[in-house]
Amino acid sequence: MDPMDAIKVTFFQECDEQLAELESGLMALEAGEGDRETVNAVFRAVHSVKGGAGAFGFEDLVKFSHTFETVLDLMRSDKLAISADAMHVMLRASDVLADLVHAARDGGSVDQGRCDALMEELDQLAHGDAAPAPSAAAPEGDAPLYADVEPDEWGFVPLRVVMDDEPPVGEEAWKIIFMPRAQLYAKGSDATILLRELALLGDCEIEVDDTLVPSLDTLDANGACLSWTIILHGDKDEAAIREIFEFVEGDCDLIIERTSVSAAAPEPPPVFAPAPVIAAAPIAAAPAPTPVAKQATAPSAAAASDSEGKGGQPAANATIRVDLERVDRLIDLVGELVINQAMLAQRVAETGVARSSNVALGLDELEQLTRELQDSVMAIRAQPVKSVFQRMPRLVREIATATNKQVRLVMDGEGTEVDKTVIERLSDPITHMLRNAVDHGLESTQDRIDAGKPAEGTIRLAALHRSGRIVIEVSDDGRGINRERVRAKAIEKGLISPDVNMTDEEIDNIIFLPGFSTASAISDISGRGVGMDVVKRSIQALGGRISITSNPGKGSTFTLSLPLTLAVLDGMVVSAADQTLIAPLTTIIETLQPKAGEVRRLGPNRSVIAVRDAFVPLVDVGVALGFRKEAAQPDSCVVLLVESEGGGRAALLVDDIQGQRQVVIKSLEANYQRVEGIAAATILGDGRVALILDVDGLIAQRVSETRAETQLAKAG
Amino acid sequence: MSEATHIKLAPALDYRAAAPLREELLAHRGKPIVVDGADVQRLGGQCIQVLASAARTWAHDGAGFSVVNVSQDMTRALAHVGMDTYFSEASAS
Repeated sequence: MDPMDAIKVTFFQECDEQLAELESGLMALEAGEGDRETVNAVFRAVHSVKGGAGAFGFEDLVKFSHTFETVLDLMRSDKLAISADAMHVMLRASDVLADLVHAARDGGSVDQGRCDALMEELDQLAHGDAAPAPSAAAPEGDAPLYADVEPDEWGFVPLRVVMDDEPPVGEEAWKIIFMPRAQLYAKGSDATILLRELALLGDCEIEVDDTLVPSLDTLDANGACLSWTIILHGDKDEAAIREIFEFVEGDCDLIIERTSVSAAAPEPPPVFAPAPVIAAAPIAAAPAPTPVAKQATAPSAAAASDSEGKGGQPAANATIRVDLERVDRLIDLVGELVINQAMLAQRVAETGVARSSNVALGLDELEQLTRELQDSVMAIRAQPVKSVFQRMPRLVREIATATNKQVRLVMDGEGTEVDKTVIERLSDPITHMLRNAVDHGLESTQDRIDAGKPAEGTIRLAALHRSGRIVIEVSDDGRGINRERVRAKAIEKGLISPDVNMTDEEIDNIIFLPGFSTASAISDISGRGVGMDVVKRSIQALGGRISITSNPGKGSTFTLSLPLTLAVLDGMVVSAADQTLIAPLTTIIETLQPKAGEVRRLGPNRSVIAVRDAFVPLVDVGVALGFRKEAAQPDSCVVLLVESEGGGRAALLVDDIQGQRQVVIKSLEANYQRVEGIAAATILGDGRVALILDVDGLIAQRVSETRAETQLAKAG
Repeated sequence: MSEATHIKLAPALDYRAAAPLREELLAHRGKPIVVDGADVQRLGGQCIQVLASAARTWAHDGAGFSVVNVSQDMTRALAHVGMDTYFSEASAS
């Protein structure tokens, strides 16, 4: 698939998620069950749709979501009450938004009258019940879409990213990618015959890919270097297509998928004049419908060097594209196998069989094999981060142009591999961070020159493996965080109290708070301060953490750290109140045996523990999760010193440590429901379910009370 | 400018013909070449690859490469693989 098409497909998939989130949020608000976080979530959903729509130039969608978002923003800042009437308008607006998204995706049209009426109602909400916010003026009439947007203080004006191709609209068709291998020819079959058969099924557009054709002296005459992409129009049965390739399926790479193609007649090849078909006599009435090859790749010198990035590559390894669902199913099954193997091993051990017996040795081999199998299966889904990184240079260029800055993007570690499920969710955070780095991190060219820096700012995007996690770093050589200004803004917005003492690190972390933005103007694409809290949330949802280091005048570095996979986890198996629990190994800094006197009680239920020269809140896991009512005696227990994503520390009190183990993650939400303090579950060798601790969740339960308690303890 | 070498393609250009065709074309590397397709009755994918590679190689060398007198069978085979204008463009470029 064309990279741009792939990005668009992803955008629409994300839109579906955002629309679902929007609707459930609005329903909750209407039912009176929502809270501030629900309003934030609803706002973010609409904002995300708008952001993507702006990038793809879906102007109607941007315009509507902007108006919608304006009202939600008023609600978010308590300037507009969450009334039944308002919710009614919102819910209808969400329907129209969904229609607009679907129209943008499928090429249909929306009821313009309904759309306009809703925009007006939203405007009334914005203007009627509240003083108009700076953003509230919706674009009117045929005014240019971004005319109402003032550049923010950095001169950032959203820029429409003009795509080379238009969104796919209209007719459904089959897209067939056919890549023969040498053995296909060796076995007497031929691509020409298969393509001819295919053409008999209906109207075809055939595009040949000759980027792998080498020069004649290096060509293997018995090899296979041409491949084809065929658009087969009409509603044919997939089985009929597969039947054609039935006997060569093992000898070629074949992808058959539904696609949407422009309803308009496909354009003729744009570069070349419609040349007559070679120097040949016209084709006589062919016995079979002759397929019309509407596009051919020209083997020009330009194509040989290939500006699209497809060429210039060495002959690629033979690959096969497989439906991700099949891989996921395989991974699930292997997960089951690992659990089953562990159970079997435990049962055999319980029978008292000697370690040197044949059964035990056989089981050891089985264990090794299952582990290897698991690693191999996980490797199937591992992909280099390049697929995400390669979208970034363009983004940086566009933002640099829009902000009138000179920016150089340096990328490093594009080959770093990570699980596909993680990759898919890396794109948004990286986009946000890069946008931020160019927009807010780098100074204007003149300011840089005045500060004695090179006019061109450098942004570095790097990926690396560290301690079993993938680390993504986005650093700039800009101005660094203006801590005084951040602090002042946070106080102004009521995010922090004016009299609280904060470390530099804590001030830097303010930028991750919802609703924080130092931008004084508001733009269509960014600028409402939803950026960094969205980043933090999406990273945390993946079990990752984000941190920032900043050096005034020299630049900032955002560091993301994520697990390599979301399917298995290295955990420490612990017990608390007769329950077996798993603590993710990555969160554990150290384990301690508390001594009497190190633990200080604060009130009836809370304690802190002295760890070297600091007091850390002590969380009795058994009590926190409701397994027991009375806190255990610390000196007969073990303490896990853990660190949250935000860098906050806590000491988890457990009864005992049983060991370390890699466990297969089973979603608790999917199989039961979300439980506070629990991230997921796994199945142990003895068949029991063990809960995986949500260390962040546990710390969050305590962290708000901690500051005061620690100060008290220090005083006492 | 040297006179172009004339190469007449065999009637059956199936997978067995690919290697000999490559050898034959390669023997004339560096010189302008005219490939005559009048007799072609069958044209397979691997011979198309050889011709495509030759067109690319000759273009790279800056030597003339053209395909002439294309038979109806050859035209049809090229159309089936979406390359009906491929060699006319190659000669033009």
